[in-house]
Amino acid sequence: MSRGLKALSAFALVAVLAAGCAKGSATRESAPEGTSNIKYFTFSAAPDHLADLDKIVKAFEAANPSITVTVETAPFTDYFTKLQTAIAGQTAPDAFELNYENFVSYADAGALRDLGDQTAGDDLSAYAPRSLQTFGRNGKQYALPESYSAVLLFYNKDLFDKAKLAYPTADWTWDDELAAARKLTGGEVYGDFQPVQFFEFYKALAQAGGSFFGPDGKQAAFNGPQGVAAAEFLLAKPGKVMPTVAQIGGTPDYDTNLFKKGRLAMWHNGVWQFAGLKDVPFGWDVVVEPASTKASAVFQNAVAVSATTKNAAAAYKWLRFLTSSEVAATTRVASSWELPPLADAKAYAGYFEQTPPANRKAVLDAVASATAEPVIARQQELQDIVTKALEQAAAGKAPVQKALDDAAAKVNELTKSG
Amino acid sequence: MSETTSPARALDEPAAAGRARPAAAVRAAGRRTAGARLRKAGTVVLFLAPSAVPLVLFTLVPMVGSLWVSLHEWNLIGAMRWVGLGNYAALLRDGDAWRALGNTVLYIAGYLPLVYVGGLGLALALNRVTRGRDLFRGVYFLPVVTSWVVVALIWKWLLNPSEGIVNKILALLGIDGPGWWTSDTWALPSVIIASAWKDLGFVMVILLAGLQAVPGDVLEAARVDGAGAWRRFRHIVLPLLSPSTFFVLVISCISGFQVFDQVYVMTSGGPAAAASEVAVERVYDLTFRYGRVGDASALSWVLFLVILLVTVVQVRLQRRWVDYG
Amino acid sequence: MGNRLLYAALVVAGLVTLAPFGWTLLSSLSDGGVPGWPLDPSLGAYGDLLRAIPFWRVLLNSVVVAAVSTGLQVLTSSMAAYGFARLDFPLKDAVFVVYLATLMVPMQVLVVPLFIEMRTFDLVDTYAGLLAPTVASAFGVFFLRQAVRQVPRELDEAAVMDGAGHVRVFASVVLPLIRPALATFTIFAFMASWNAFLWPLVILRSPEFMTLPLGLATLQGQFTTRWDVVMAGSVVSVLPILVVYVLAQRHVIASVARTGLK
Repeated sequence: MSRGLKALSAFALVAVLAAGCAKGSATRESAPEGTSNIKYFTFSAAPDHLADLDKIVKAFEAANPSITVTVETAPFTDYFTKLQTAIAGQTAPDAFELNYENFVSYADAGALRDLGDQTAGDDLSAYAPRSLQTFGRNGKQYALPESYSAVLLFYNKDLFDKAKLAYPTADWTWDDELAAARKLTGGEVYGDFQPVQFFEFYKALAQAGGSFFGPDGKQAAFNGPQGVAAAEFLLAKPGKVMPTVAQIGGTPDYDTNLFKKGRLAMWHNGVWQFAGLKDVPFGWDVVVEPASTKASAVFQNAVAVSATTKNAAAAYKWLRFLTSSEVAATTRVASSWELPPLADAKAYAGYFEQTPPANRKAVLDAVASATAEPVIARQQELQDIVTKALEQAAAGKAPVQKALDDAAAKVNELTKSG
Repeated sequence: MSETTSPARALDEPAAAGRARPAAAVRAAGRRTAGARLRKAGTVVLFLAPSAVPLVLFTLVPMVGSLWVSLHEWNLIGAMRWVGLGNYAALLRDGDAWRALGNTVLYIAGYLPLVYVGGLGLALALNRVTRGRDLFRGVYFLPVVTSWVVVALIWKWLLNPSEGIVNKILALLGIDGPGWWTSDTWALPSVIIASAWKDLGFVMVILLAGLQAVPGDVLEAARVDGAGAWRRFRHIVLPLLSPSTFFVLVISCISGFQVFDQVYVMTSGGPAAAASEVAVERVYDLTFRYGRVGDASALSWVLFLVILLVTVVQVRLQRRWVDYG
Repeated sequence: MGNRLLYAALVVAGLVTLAPFGWTLLSSLSDGGVPGWPLDPSLGAYGDLLRAIPFWRVLLNSVVVAAVSTGLQVLTSSMAAYGFARLDFPLKDAVFVVYLATLMVPMQVLVVPLFIEMRTFDLVDTYAGLLAPTVASAFGVFFLRQAVRQVPRELDEAAVMDGAGHVRVFASVVLPLIRPALATFTIFAFMASWNAFLWPLVILRSPEFMTLPLGLATLQGQFTTRWDVVMAGSVVSVLPILVVYVLAQRHVIASVARTGLK
C-alpha cells in the first residue's frame, strides 16, 4: 500500500468513526444561550396523532420563544422498555407520558419530580379536580392529567332491528345484556364481545357492588361473592354468545374486524374506536355499560417531569400547555384523540356534537360513574395474576371460587412486599 | 491424552492429535528465541484482538454488570438495594422459575431431533436434485426470514383445536385431536413443531455448506465398490458432516435454552401461558414488566451455568465422534 | 428411480413452507389486513407504508447498519477462526469456551448494563453505540472455525514452506477455501443485524436513526393497528434478506466449482 493510500484510508476511517459517534437530534445538546430545550417522550401520539402533537408543540414554541421541545415517540408496547432503560441509564427525557397503571410505581420509585415548586403559585382550577387528585400521592402532585378515555357498550343497530329487539339503554342490567346477546347470536353473528381479563374484571366487580381491596387498600377482597358473580358474568360469554379464545386464535384486532363486518351485535370497547368506525355501512351507537350498579372504566394518561431534569421550570410550562391550553383541547377534540381532563366541559363541547355515534354524551355518563382502578406499585404482576386466574376458571382447570382465592393470596403477597 | 484432561483442553484435540509437521517447522521450533516468541504472540494478538476486544467490552463487561445486579433488588426506575445472595435464595423457592427451566429443557429435547433430522433430510434431498435446486433452496429458506408474528398466527390457525386443518385430518383418521396451544399438555409441543418448521431452513443451509465438503470422488469410489446408499450415508456422509453436526448441536442448545420469541407470540397471554412459560420469557417479564431486575439477573445466571455445563459436556464428548478429516 | 417421488416431496414441502409468506403477501394486499373472498387486491397498504414512516430513509439506515455490521463480523470472526484453528497459544481451549460463553446470557438481561456502559462512553443515540455490540460474533467464530479445521493442513503448510506468513496463509489460502462457510455466515450475520430490535430500540433515540424493525413497530397503536400496512412492511423487510441469501447461495456453489477441491 502506498503512503498516500494509507493516509487516505486512515482519514476515511477517522471520518467514519466521527460520523458514527455523532449524536442524533433527540439527544444533541443544542440549546443556545438563554433558551432551554425540553425532551418529551410520548406513546399516545404514534402512529396516528404525530401531526396533531406537532401542532401543539408549534403553538407552545410560538408562545414561549425561549423554550424548544424535542419530541421522541415509541409505540405503546415498547414505550416502557425504552423509558425504564433510559431512566436506569440516567438519560431520562425531561418530561414523559405515563398511564395511570404505571404512575404509582414511578412515583413510589422516586422517578418523578414533585411538582410542588411549580404548582405553588399556579392556578390549577382548569383541571377536573378528580383527575388532578388521581396523580397526587402522599400529598404531593407528581404529574398533570393529560387525557382520558372511557369504555362503553357499542352496539350494531341493524342487527338489533333485524332481531326486533329494543336498543340497549342506560338502564340495562347484566341480565338484559345476556338475554339480548343470546337472542342475537346465531348464524354468522355473535351477540356480545367482552374479553376475559383484569380490566374487565375490576370494573365488573364494581358493577356487582364489590371492591378489589379491603378498607386498608392492601388486603385483597375480590374473591368475595361479588367477585365470583363478576367472574361468572364474564365467563358466561365465550363459547355461548361470543367466540372462544381458540376461535380467536390470537388473530390481531379480531373483535374490531368482527364488529366492522357487521357480525357482532354488542361490543365492550373504548371511545378510541370512534374514528375507525366512521364509515361502516350500518347504524351503530354507544351507551354506558349495563349494570345494576353503574360503574365504568375510565383510563387516564398523565405527563410528568423527570426527577433528574435540569429544566424543571421549562418542562412544567410545556406540560401545562400540553394538558390545558385551548390549542391542545381543540386539537384533541378535532382529531378524536382522547379527551382533555378539564373541569369545564365547554372546553371540549365540540366533541359531543360529532356523529356517529349519536349518543356521545354516554362518555359523560361513564365519567360520572367512573370506578377507581386498583393500582399498586407492582401493578403488572397484579394484572397478570388476575387475568391468569380468570383463564384458569374459563378453561375449567379450577372452580371460579378457588381460582379467585389463589389469586387473592398471591396479590396479598405483592402488596405486602411492594 | 489422559482421562484427566480438563473439559476445555479436549476442545482442540482432534486437530492437534499427531500430525506430522514438515521438517523445517520442527527445526524452527527447536531454536526458538525470545524474538520469535514475541512475534508469535504478536500474531495471536493480531488474529484474536479484533473479536476479543469487542466481546470483552460489550458482552463480558455487561455480563459482570448483570452479576452485580443479581445481588440487588432493583426496578430500573428507582435506587438499587443490596440483598446479597437473597435473589438466588428466593429463586430456589420460586416454583414458577423452576417450571420455566424445566419447560426449556423439554423444548430442547423435542426441538433438536426434529429440526436436525428435518434439516438433514432437506439438505440431502437438495443435494441430489439438479433442476430447480436454487428455487427450492430459496423457498425452504423463506420461513427462516418470515416474522414470528405471522408464523405464529398461521400455526395457531393450523393447530386450532376446533377448526384447524390438523385436527380435521386427525378426525378423518378417527383420532380425536388435542387442544394444541390452548391445552397445558400440548402447548409446548405446538411451539416445538412451529419452531422446528421455521428453523429447518437454517439447519439445511449449514448442512448444505457441510455437504459441499463431501468429495464426490469418494462417494463414486464407494459406489463402484458396491456400497449401498445407506452404507455410503452412514460411513462417508455422516462422518464428513460431523463438524457441521457438532456446530448445529452446540449452537441449537445454546439458543434453545434462550428460546423466547416463538413462545411469547404463540402462547403468552393465552390459556396455556403458565404451563408453557420458558426461562427467558420469565427473564423478560421480570426485567421489563415486573421491575424485578435482580430476580431476572439471578435466573439468567443460573441459566448461564446450565448452558455452560451442557456445552462443556458436548465439547468433551466431541472427540468420540467428530471427524475433522 | 425415486426421482419423481423426490420432486413430489420437495414440492409439497415447498408449498408448506411458502404458506405463511404467501399469507403475509395476501394480507398486505387486502383491506384491513384480512384476506377475504373474492380477493380484492390493492396496493394501498404499500402506499400508506411509504407515508406512515420516512420509508426510504429508514431503509437506507437499515441497509448501511446491516452491511457495516456484517462486514465487520465476517472479518473479525474469520480472523479469530483462523487463530483458533491454526495457531497455538496457552489456554487456547479455555479462551474458546469464554468466547462461547458470550452467547449464553440472554440479551434481555444484558441490555440494561450494556446501556449504562454506553452512556459512560457517551455513545447513547449514535451509530457507534448501535454497532459496537455487533462487531464480533462468537457464533461466527465457532462456525468458521469448524470450516477452517476442515481445510487440509497440507495446503497451508505448503504455503509456509514457500515462506508465507500467517497473514498470507490466512488471506490467500484459507479464506478462498472456506468461501461456502463465509457466504453462509454472511447470511446469518446480515439477518441478525437486519432483524435486531431490542438493542436498537433502547440505544437509538432520534427519529433520523430509525432502522426498519423500529419503524415497522411504530405502526402499532396502543389500541388499534393497520394490519395491512404492518404486513406490507414485513413483506418489504424480508426482500433484502432474500436477495442476500440468493446471492450468497450462488456463491457457495460457484466457489466450490471453481476451486475444484471438494
